[in-house]
Amino acid sequence: MRPRIAIFSLTSCEGCSLAILELEDQLLSILDAVEIVNFREGMTERSWDIDIGFVDGAVSTPEDKREVEHFRECCTKLVAIGACACLGGLNTLKNYQDEDEYRAYVYGDCAKYFPTTPAQPISAVVNVDHELPGCPMVKEEFLKFVTFALAGRTFKLPEDPVCVECKKKGILCLYEKGIICLGPITRGGCNAICPSYGAKCEGCRGIVAEDALKAAGVNLREQYDVDLADVLADVRMFGAYQEKTLP
Amino acid sequence: MLDRVLSRKRLLELVDELAHARRIVGPVKQNDHYFYEPVDRADRLDLDFSYCVYGPKAFLLPPTQTLFRFKQHAGTFETTPEHNDEPLGIIGVHPCDVNAIRLLDHAFANTHPDEHYLTRRRQTFIVGIDCPGPCTEGVFCGDMHGNEATTGFDVMCYPLSRDDTGGDVRYGVVFGTDAGREFILYAQAGDPPSVEDERAFERYQIEKQAAFPQQIPYGVDTLPDLLERSYDSLLWQATARRCYSCGSCNLSCPTCYCFNMFDEQELALGTGERKREWDGCQLRSFAEVAGGHNFREAPASRLRHRIYRKAKWVKEREGIAGCVGCARCDRACTAKISSVEIYNQLAEER
Amino acid sequence: MPLIERTSMYRGDSLYEPRPAEITAVEKLTADENLYTIRLDGGGPLGHDPGQFVQVSLVGIGECPISICSSPTRLEHFQLCIRRAGEVTEHIHRLDAGDTVGIRGPLGHGFQVHELHGKDVLIVAGGLGIAPVRSLIQYILDERSRFGAFHLLYGARSPAEMLFQTDVIRWRENKDVNFHTTVDRPDEQWRGHTGVVTTLFQELPKLDPHETMAIIVGPPVMFKFVVLEVLGRRIPQKNVYCSLERRMKCGVGKCGHCQANNVYVCLEGPVFRYGELKALREAIG
Repeated sequence: MRPRIAIFSLTSCEGCSLAILELEDQLLSILDAVEIVNFREGMTERSWDIDIGFVDGAVSTPEDKREVEHFRECCTKLVAIGACACLGGLNTLKNYQDEDEYRAYVYGDCAKYFPTTPAQPISAVVNVDHELPGCPMVKEEFLKFVTFALAGRTFKLPEDPVCVECKKKGILCLYEKGIICLGPITRGGCNAICPSYGAKCEGCRGIVAEDALKAAGVNLREQYDVDLADVLADVRMFGAYQEKTLP
Repeated sequence: MLDRVLSRKRLLELVDELAHARRIVGPVKQNDHYFYEPVDRADRLDLDFSYCVYGPKAFLLPPTQTLFRFKQHAGTFETTPEHNDEPLGIIGVHPCDVNAIRLLDHAFANTHPDEHYLTRRRQTFIVGIDCPGPCTEGVFCGDMHGNEATTGFDVMCYPLSRDDTGGDVRYGVVFGTDAGREFILYAQAGDPPSVEDERAFERYQIEKQAAFPQQIPYGVDTLPDLLERSYDSLLWQATARRCYSCGSCNLSCPTCYCFNMFDEQELALGTGERKREWDGCQLRSFAEVAGGHNFREAPASRLRHRIYRKAKWVKEREGIAGCVGCARCDRACTAKISSVEIYNQLAEER
Repeated sequence: MPLIERTSMYRGDSLYEPRPAEITAVEKLTADENLYTIRLDGGGPLGHDPGQFVQVSLVGIGECPISICSSPTRLEHFQLCIRRAGEVTEHIHRLDAGDTVGIRGPLGHGFQVHELHGKDVLIVAGGLGIAPVRSLIQYILDERSRFGAFHLLYGARSPAEMLFQTDVIRWRENKDVNFHTTVDRPDEQWRGHTGVVTTLFQELPKLDPHETMAIIVGPPVMFKFVVLEVLGRRIPQKNVYCSLERRMKCGVGKCGHCQANNVYVCLEGPVFRYGELKALREAIG
């Protein structure tokens, strides 16, 4: 029996769902191995008998909350994909602004028809079995997750920071150019895609470990002449929901 | 004693010859930094390079390497080992990196020879370029004796002088292997060294001695004892509170060779590869066993482990220094943890 | 260059390739531990020393180090006691007789049995420590005339966690071994000794310290207390052996994971003399 797969979206750009369609070369073998039964971005049929449900997007409205609770009921395993579903993502920036102001900005006069809540990762609302973080989700990691599921293996996220992948790729460390990069505190597994193109890591896969974050606090205060508030603002971009753990 | 003298122009011609039979790798400038990269023509190499950000290790021990492929069928499995025997020439290797390769050679050849490394290594031709002085600030290769290579290369080129016409460099050449000798002599390249050349070489050696500042005042030979007495120093903890456990020191080190092994399967299952990948003792889970116990849970114990390996244990085990003083670890550390500083601070405690 | 001189030592294949082997029997020992009887494809003995280990592979999943728990005197197959602890062992627990695993080894430095020949032997095992040392127990019982007195003390956390119960019953009845067991937490059926393994030392007769070899295998916390008892009975440090557990990946002294201070446990160990170990601060902590 091929596992029955669903892909759902909450508040987000749905880019992570699309990333699955971007696995063009592997798409046919994925379809050989699994049965996709519910995927708004890819098909019209809908089924609610689901082995593994992948969800992108944050819980940012009362409707999101109802939906994700429904997904949880219908899926044996629920997997959060992308920074929004795993960390709250960009959506959580609104948690730091005045509600009336951002609602008026986004919806103008119609704001009252669009109720909103502070943005949360889905794990704040329902029990999540696995997370595949990143903005967007790393599609190779999705493929690996599916392969592991088929083999009955337990998928574990990489526990090493982005620096490991920079070094393996032989990339010049951005600190050597005087750039404060979040690589040392961010979970790797993205193949260091941003530093590979000369852009600093912005932490979209979340903080790799508590002690790395502590070290960041010490280093940025003692070794670098930077404003910690700026760095926190960077960390907040994708992971404001992690803020309670910031130094 | 020199074996030959040779102009750089002639050396590069020989490298172009070599390129017919081997993939050529050497220092290439990218913006303000040098990296070892494959090149198709010798004139893309910059043999005046200061230092390469990373050593040439990745060409001998790739960051990820397939050990064998497997195929499951009829309830059992078959394996096919993978060995890369593509001929390779690494041109422009400084003595620090030559010495680092010597350590890898030893570590992978001893007790249980590792054919995955050794097959590549036997197919690798190494042209060293000696350093008349430190390549950049902060290196401590002079202290670690990493700045002198006597074996581990096929030929070593000592830049004796620049001649006045066209800035060409005159290299004194020492052969390290028969292959190195053939590389130069088969082409009848260069000239036998004259008495003048030998004198120039002696002068070069004397000036080189003076050019490397001493960074570890008590000398590298005191480090094993110093570390032995410093196991319980508070310095490990005091320094490690800055450590991200990001492994950058390990992964940029030319002598680090620890690795992890893992399996990768095709989506259709049944076929796949067992691979190894670079690992580092500073990473959190390095000494963790199934069930979760971590034998080096504290960052301080991991930092101490690395420093002990570099300045004491590897030398004791392998007879070859575990550190060549290239300072890539210190440069890679975004927390600015410096091994030289640690040695000096420990020495002050005494 | 050593690289060239040593060419004759190289094997054409890979150090890391496992050999297929068939599981011929599976016996459930406890809730989390099974005993697997294994036969190499093509037959033939594994050729191990007691105390050595193998890397067990499930291709596609991975590999894990497991002590060999049967004696090399049992030629036709070997046995592994496998606790469900990580991903690979979890998958091994799903296998049945007739299934195939990969085997790499024997690996590491085991007990050098010739050093024990002609001596009295005291074995103290705690918990899963009984598994590696069972190969030696079987060896001593199979080659009984080569040894003097044989004392065996085994402590488990609870009766349900006591491994090799069939052996335990047999050893109790066997006149060739002075065997005592204890549990930390007895259940209602337990009629035996209660307490940590060191409390069994009161069951031992007077030992001849210069003729006795002591072997201690168990969790690090047990190790220290047992060493105190053993040294307290004047057994010289050089005659005390123990076996260590570490994360092992390559099993051949390259990958660095099992390193404890300056020792590669997979190469110089897992069996060490106490004299070698006590200098290793990371070994017993």
